Amino acid sequence: MKKKLISILMSTAMISSILTGCGSSTSASGTAAANTEAGNASETSETADAGAGKVYYLNFKPEADEAWQKLAKEYTEETGVPVTVVTAASGEYETTLQSEMAKSDAPTLFQVNGPVGLKNWADYCYDLSDSEIYKNLTSEDYALKNEDGGVAGVAYVIESYGIITNKALLEKAGYSTDDIKSFADLKKVAEDITARKDELGFAAFASTGMDSSSDWRFKTHLANLPIYFEYQDDGITSTEAIKGTYLDNYKNIFDLYINNSTCEPKELSAKTADDARNEFLDGKAVFYQNGSWEYSSLSEKYSDDELAMLPIYIGVGDEAKQGLCTGTENYWCVNAEASEDDINATLAFMNWCVTSDAGTKSMANDMGFTIPFKTAQESPNVFVQQDQANTEAGLTPVSWNFTTMPSEEWKNNLGSALTAYAAGTGSWDDVKAAFVDNWATEYSLANE
Amino acid sequence: MEKSVRRYWPIFVLPTLIAFTIGFLWPFVWGIYLSFCKFQTVNKVKFIGASNYLRVFSDNSFIHAFGFTALFTVVSTLTINILAFFIAMLLTRRIKGTNIFRTVFFMPNLIGGIVLGYIWQILLDCLLSMWGKPLLALDAKAGFMGLLILMSWQQIGYMMIIYIAGLQNVSPDLVEAAEIDGATPWQILTKVKIPMVMPSITICTFLTLTNSFKLFDQNLSLTGGEPAKASQMLALNIYETYYGRSGAQWKGIGQAKAVVFFLLVVVISLIQLRATRSKEVQA
Amino acid sequence: MEKIDENITEDTIEDVVIALQKPSLEQKALKKSKNTAMVNNIITAVLGIVALFYVYPIFMIIINSLKQESAISTNTAFNLPTAATFAGLANYVHGVTQMDFLSSFGYSLFITISSVVLIILCCSMCAWYISRVDSVLSKVMYYLCIFSMVVPFQMVMFTLAKTADTLKLNTPFNICIIYLGFGAGLAVFMFTGFMKSMPIEVEEAAMIDGYSPLQMFFKVVMPITKPTTISTAILETMWVWNDYLLPTLVLDIKKYRTIPMDIQYFRGSYGSVQMAPMMACIVITIIPVILLYLFCQKYIIEGVVAGAVKG
Repeated sequence: MKKKLISILMSTAMISSILTGCGSSTSASGTAAANTEAGNASETSETADAGAGKVYYLNFKPEADEAWQKLAKEYTEETGVPVTVVTAASGEYETTLQSEMAKSDAPTLFQVNGPVGLKNWADYCYDLSDSEIYKNLTSEDYALKNEDGGVAGVAYVIESYGIITNKALLEKAGYSTDDIKSFADLKKVAEDITARKDELGFAAFASTGMDSSSDWRFKTHLANLPIYFEYQDDGITSTEAIKGTYLDNYKNIFDLYINNSTCEPKELSAKTADDARNEFLDGKAVFYQNGSWEYSSLSEKYSDDELAMLPIYIGVGDEAKQGLCTGTENYWCVNAEASEDDINATLAFMNWCVTSDAGTKSMANDMGFTIPFKTAQESPNVFVQQDQANTEAGLTPVSWNFTTMPSEEWKNNLGSALTAYAAGTGSWDDVKAAFVDNWATEYSLANE
Repeated sequence: MEKSVRRYWPIFVLPTLIAFTIGFLWPFVWGIYLSFCKFQTVNKVKFIGASNYLRVFSDNSFIHAFGFTALFTVVSTLTINILAFFIAMLLTRRIKGTNIFRTVFFMPNLIGGIVLGYIWQILLDCLLSMWGKPLLALDAKAGFMGLLILMSWQQIGYMMIIYIAGLQNVSPDLVEAAEIDGATPWQILTKVKIPMVMPSITICTFLTLTNSFKLFDQNLSLTGGEPAKASQMLALNIYETYYGRSGAQWKGIGQAKAVVFFLLVVVISLIQLRATRSKEVQA
Repeated sequence: MEKIDENITEDTIEDVVIALQKPSLEQKALKKSKNTAMVNNIITAVLGIVALFYVYPIFMIIINSLKQESAISTNTAFNLPTAATFAGLANYVHGVTQMDFLSSFGYSLFITISSVVLIILCCSMCAWYISRVDSVLSKVMYYLCIFSMVVPFQMVMFTLAKTADTLKLNTPFNICIIYLGFGAGLAVFMFTGFMKSMPIEVEEAAMIDGYSPLQMFFKVVMPITKPTTISTAILETMWVWNDYLLPTLVLDIKKYRTIPMDIQYFRGSYGSVQMAPMMACIVITIIPVILLYLFCQKYIIEGVVAGAVKG
């Protein structure tokens, strides 16, 4: 009997020592981590008394990671509310979001890329109808509405993309941006540069990097153009089955990219967007398809006068009136399942980002964003300014229709097909199948 | 003595049992339940019956992944075991430098799958681009060969060690007796040595078979399933279904795939054990 | 490394270990042959070349980790760094500072040590109970452990991550409990196999001397099981240290990362794929493991053999 008692006592002691041993070290480390994370533990505890929550932002834009970390720290210093920013690797946002949302300490602030993305997370989006940030939007168009009319998300950045051009190099080749007003012009200039590649010492296009971290430039952004023109023709804003009317034009521009580039098409599968940026920065290429978010890294090397962004001409529609591709796929959503304190803290943080001096400055200058809020600061971003000038000059911006692509899976398939086509291991018919047939398949899968 | 130990079960067994329940039993049972459900997070779970399983078998990417995995498993098991056995034969000849070779060949085992994948991706891509061939991410065949080379590089050393131990256990008397009876070296190998090291062969095939079939890290980092999932193996396919696809229906399908995967592993292990066991002889 | 499954055979570890060190008569017989010496020299030469190919990938990573980022591309990985592309230790500094690599290293180290110690302690105790007590609990535990070794991680990844999250077992300081749970199968299996073959007389004698079961376990049983302890510890260390998916899904990624997670994060988490710092960090990851291996080679190889033949 005595032995039994001892054994039970021993076991309880042992188990509790395992559990508490780990438990106590956790809490110790937890606060230690909080110290470094939030920057100041004392303020955290003060505000904890006041019942304030915390913010966990799962950021989509890797290029803005540093700026967000800095801004979060500033906010914590100012208000004492801990803000954690975690950035998902490029192309891994959905994966990270899925695993993080399943946790008890889930992100309080996340983003969806538009109506298609919203469908998956609609149940988890807090209704922003009464929030300050929603009221600060410059236009209703920038709010993402639920089927029942609730505001599920607000756009926090408006961006433009096109063909970023090194004006100085273009001049060296004997042209100026005024010479390029259509796909035919672009083709002529690019092919002329390729013909004189050795003499000039640079290529027309930076490498069309198709590494899975970077192929979004082509499977998503470039693919927007044939979709946009097809929607324009049919007068629709989304579809369950794409026809692929302008796929030949898509092929032409993609061919132009890969055949007039700094490297062999075969090597593109291992090239990344960074390689392309580095080539552009090193003056090895005149053109580089990307967006206004690149400004902060490009402006370290080039002055505003040396940079321009051309519309992506694919030889469809009234090219003289075509502007840059401008829109958003970045909608902030607040996790409805977070505690009320956390939701309030998150709403306050979002509002602070787009209204306070520090927030708007950081978003305009460090991240190079144009934000659709009344309190926005003038962005020094030359590409953004160019988009505004274009619009004033009567050009029509190309809207972002890739948010209606049926799924991530569709994009990935298209990316693989494009990569194989570029390397010569796949045919254009595969790309067509990935574009047209798979659209219907994925659409029905996503909407069953 | 048994009685006094028996009373101590809370000390001896309970800690492991609790952790085992947390880390394996409960997640396993729960996982089986979830394979019949539709859910995005566990807060909103809806029971939908067996329809997830129907979706698994109509999913071409899963079928393709199964084919790729099965082929890879067979080829890699053969390659690794034959090469490892061959090297083990050489290293039991008391040649110079045996210890150094053993050290070198075993070393890659210590490096993790993710790291290995990236090392070989850089190396193989460089080779392929020098030969003017499409890179790993473009060619499922290259991806297959790459995985095979990587796995061989990693596993041969481990299996070699086990074979060396097995070969050194073969009774020299038996070999001598065979020599006296006029057996050729080939006959000695196939009729004497291989039957005698059958236990080692059982273990090594079992290890390579399950390692290859469950391969994940190396697949993720070396090819990531490119091109267009052509080099995607089962474990990666399940992971991508689970976490890569958005939409509530996919989680349940991913979980159902995992259950199917688990059953496949069990069946394959049992068949393999039975097959090689039957060939073992008592030393 | 995947978890490794075992089989039961009739041999004991000692036999194998002795056999490893004792040159067999067969080899002596071979030596008699005149040609053997020459053949062996050729084999040595061939294996030497193969061995060079074997270490080359590691050498290549070290070379590339010393190059500048811009000098690393698909077709130049084999080139040695030149004066223009030599980056010195810049990649190491960059990789270590940007990724907070040292703390990841620390977490990895802590998780590995704590998990392995916990697994060894709890599983050896559990195995002793299983091998000495004939009860339903023993049988159930034993077969569950064998069963768990076959189950692929994907089967439980989501539910395990959720369970760990609910119980707050998501920090490097208590993730060892998860590792104990998921890694128990192999360890219990290996210990049980060995302990069943241990003569019970020693323990019975100790019992008569008045040892309690606990005293007996730590003073009598543990010393005898040392070989199995070492081999189990090695197998579990290789698994935990290199594990990628479990910590990725279980750990609180806001605060903690292990080394394999860090390596994966170099792929584009900061807007770029940084090959050069990634390779520097790979080198930092590999070097200690290789050094450890060179020092403990004897134990590791014996451990592998023991783990494979026994079980």
